[in-house]
Amino acid sequence: MAGVTPAAHSMASAKANPVLVFLMVSSVMAWLVLSSVSVAPNRIVPGSSVGVFGVAGWPGVVLGLLPVIIAGVLALKSSRRQLVVVALLVVLTLAALPLWLALAAHNLVSPELPGARLGIGAGIWVVLFLLLLSVIEVRTRLGLSRWQGGLLLLIPMMSFSAVLIATPWLDSLALRREFVTRSDAFYTAIGEHLLLVSASVGCGLVIGVTLALIMRHWPRLRGPGFALLNFLQTIPSLALFGLLIAPLAWLAANHPWLASLGISGIGWAPALLALIGYSLLPLVRNTFVALDDVDPGVIDAARGMGMTSGQVFRQVRLPLALPVLLEGIRITTVQAIGLAAVAALIGAGGLGRFIFQGLGQAAMDLVLLGALPILIMALLADALLGALGEWLQPGGAA
Amino acid sequence: MIELKNLSRQFGEMWAVRDLNLTINKGEFCVLVGTSGCGKSTTLRMINRLIEHSAGEIHIDGQPVRGFREDLLRRRIGYVIQHVGLFPHWTVARNIGLVPRLLGWEPERIAARVDELMALLGMSAERFSGKYPRQLSGGQAQRVGVARALAADPEILLMDEPFGALDPLTRDGLQEELLSLHHRLNKTIVFVTHDMDEALRLADRLVVMHEGQIRQQGRPIELLREPVDEFVESLLGGNSRGLKEAALTPVAQRLCHAEMTSGVPDIDANKTLRDALSLMLWHRVDCLNVVEGSESLGTLRLADVVTARAPMGTTRGLSS
Ligand SMILES: Nc1ncnc2c1ncn2[C@@H]1O[C@H](COP(=O)(O)OP(=O)(O)OP(=O)(O)O)[C@@H](O)[C@H]1O
Ligand SMILES: [Mg+2]
Repeated sequence: MAGVTPAAHSMASAKANPVLVFLMVSSVMAWLVLSSVSVAPNRIVPGSSVGVFGVAGWPGVVLGLLPVIIAGVLALKSSRRQLVVVALLVVLTLAALPLWLALAAHNLVSPELPGARLGIGAGIWVVLFLLLLSVIEVRTRLGLSRWQGGLLLLIPMMSFSAVLIATPWLDSLALRREFVTRSDAFYTAIGEHLLLVSASVGCGLVIGVTLALIMRHWPRLRGPGFALLNFLQTIPSLALFGLLIAPLAWLAANHPWLASLGISGIGWAPALLALIGYSLLPLVRNTFVALDDVDPGVIDAARGMGMTSGQVFRQVRLPLALPVLLEGIRITTVQAIGLAAVAALIGAGGLGRFIFQGLGQAAMDLVLLGALPILIMALLADALLGALGEWLQPGGAA
Repeated sequence: MIELKNLSRQFGEMWAVRDLNLTINKGEFCVLVGTSGCGKSTTLRMINRLIEHSAGEIHIDGQPVRGFREDLLRRRIGYVIQHVGLFPHWTVARNIGLVPRLLGWEPERIAARVDELMALLGMSAERFSGKYPRQLSGGQAQRVGVARALAADPEILLMDEPFGALDPLTRDGLQEELLSLHHRLNKTIVFVTHDMDEALRLADRLVVMHEGQIRQQGRPIELLREPVDEFVESLLGGNSRGLKEAALTPVAQRLCHAEMTSGVPDIDANKTLRDALSLMLWHRVDCLNVVEGSESLGTLRLADVVTARAPMGTTRGLSS
């Protein structure tokens, strides 16, 4: 028996990793088949798509593909060392993507046309997406923590920022042109977005924890309480925003002091209220479950040692519940970052404004200017709060 | 001294403990045994008021427990449970120092006390004090549980199946240590177990409970020899009581200071007659050399093991 396990283990580790192989093969196909970039002479004219061979000749394309192909071959025998190399190759490819765009800008965008712009094509988006998936896969296979996974992605992000900020190579990138023409509005929007999200999660947290505590104390309120919160969660966001307009407008009209606080049927007030409403279910549920799931033996010991009920709660129950509670905050934050985009529709500002403006003008790059930061904010919040939760696990990160 | 007078506890219609009378003297090691659900834990937890009694009285050193504030009462009583209940988010040192901290001791005094207790329980403070409970083995965790209960030097220690989940060897070692702690520190201990050998080995006073009431109490040897009814008899082991009694008697008691017999195995003087019998059966001999360290004390003969008996009033034989 004892001899079987190591043998089985070494066989398992020498097996191909089908997920990674699939991701690499798909990346190669997407890279070759889909359009790589699009080029337009100005903002109004739709761009014309260019494939990889239009950006660079055969040698350039093959050179660009080389790390992905090697990674795919290595994934056929996924021992630990192979996986580390795969991770490095994937990170290298991600870090090289901005250079590919710079090459495209150099080869395709005529310097004579000041309005000419380079759009990022489907091929690059798909490859980016697939490679990010493979980073996640490698992270899980190697058993890396969220922090370490995040550090892997830091390298490509830094390379992108460096090329964007320190060199003029990507000045003709459409996304950048959209940004340059409205950089002030962009920063304001990010500020509004963050404020809306943190205010709603903050208020939601206070109300949610209070509700969870109340429901723990009075079991009879649990059924109706959760039913109400579940119902709240099922109302589509736009409908909820709309539903709040009338009562808030009425309140503002009848109580001038509310209006003087800036509360009205549209704007930040209904958006904040709706976001708080959505944050309540995950927060209440996680707080409730977290507090309830603490090992009864531990609570019994705490009481038996002579802790008062307040001490049991503050020193034992709450700290042990914290990781699960934090999980609720993570879910809520990520959800609020996305939902806050919709709030732009009722005049609450935020990054959603660019998305809806862009949709209205059929300017996809403006949509991206709103959507990309939302995506990055969501990923960052997810990673940071997740890592914090891992770090707070009972027994510490010892 | 702990006195339970006409103590009862009702859960709904059901009496978990009914009209229980028990006096546990200071420094006594009292073990409660009985079938599952007979009210052992309930009795134990009523002493530190984790469960309130429905009727009757509990006095500690003559004072009713209801006269104390619950949390203050509990800080004066050590409590150890089967599932250890160590706080997973605290280090070993912090776990052990809990009650002193609740009592508001100075940090230096707590630290010194924690080191002292870890030494007392044979754990290297250097190696273990910074560890978290999940990094400990079951036996180590239970040692920490005992150290935590002893931290503020309570007069009374309540232990509910503390060694239930441990392997026999570890359990044996911990029982040994608990006995020696009891001799050194002279605590009053109330201990619940399902393991009859453990109960017989540890108890000064053995209490057999059944359906919330006490069937019989007394010294282990008394209960073994004179069970009041069939229930106590079978709980204590029925026909295997002979061996259980042998396990309570040290070899030294039946020692015969005769000449050394050559060619027979040695047995340590502080082993029990049960060990001696086993050794005789194994080596197919009827005589053993009794030694203490390297010094020989005499011999032990099968006939003396089997026939001689400490005087103990009238005895009931084993029913066949
Ligand atoms: N909180 C409670 N609510 C209702 N009934 C209870 C409660 N605690 C104990 N009981 C009941 O009281 C009786 C005695 O329980 P207790 O825990 O004292 O038994 P025990 O002798 O410790 O059993 P075991 O050896 O299985 O631990 C059982 O029938 C149990 O179901
Ligand atoms: Mg019990």
